[in-house]
Amino acid sequence: MAPTIRLTVPGTLRYRAIAVRVVAEAARLVSGSAQRDPDDPLSNDVRHPFDTAVVSAFMEIFNNVAIHAYKRKGGGSIEIAITPLERELVIEVRDTGSPFDIDEVAPLPAELDADALPEGGMGIHIAKTMLDEMTYEPGPPNLWRLRKRLAANQAAGAGRS
Amino acid sequence: MPTPYDVQRTDRETTLVIRGSLDINTAPTLAEEIDRIIASKPPKVAVDLAALDLIDSSGVAALVKLYKGIRGTGGAIQIVNARDQPLAIFKLLRMDKVFNL
Repeated sequence: MAPTIRLTVPGTLRYRAIAVRVVAEAARLVSGSAQRDPDDPLSNDVRHPFDTAVVSAFMEIFNNVAIHAYKRKGGGSIEIAITPLERELVIEVRDTGSPFDIDEVAPLPAELDADALPEGGMGIHIAKTMLDEMTYEPGPPNLWRLRKRLAANQAAGAGRS
Repeated sequence: MPTPYDVQRTDRETTLVIRGSLDINTAPTLAEEIDRIIASKPPKVAVDLAALDLIDSSGVAALVKLYKGIRGTGGAIQIVNARDQPLAIFKLLRMDKVFNL
């Protein structure tokens, strides 16, 4: 069984960057991508398509939990379990805040022009589109399960430069 | 956590350079600057994203607000040099064509 990386942070946006950093590094374990500057491990260096998809989706889910489950007030924790497999990454995000009604998320406008650009409601759309699978089970605890597979043309090392 | 950004103004153009991560934590600070830029009704705005590493939906919303605000005052706006993760997000949201990225 693949080892799982576990991280628990308070359920506020203050701890978002820590969680994103851990997820980005876990994505690199699967994609094999290297940092642009190995001497600056804290840089926001997300270039490989696999890393991009995982980090983009996770950022939106973390935002959603902090804003909708914990109402920007914290009061609970966010438990993150990341399992890097040979060619895929599975992330589970648990919280004990208010359940989220995912069915109420409106789709993006079918036709997008300068006047119809949305100013909100994009987060879940980004996460769902970036991933191969995304499920949500209302709780408590509420559970987001994210899965991203490494495409055949994204072989390990493809992101190296 | 302030958004690292610079604003350069001339009579003809306002240039907004955004660096690092534009996200739910940093976008509110930039939003205040965006309000100031829109209120000044510049004839032309350039947003340079060459040094922007990460963006989330909150960051996108801030840029959309700027885009709509400048066009609403009759100005022109160009978003340039988006790359990597931010460019992928704009493409996913189909905003790359609207922004001419």
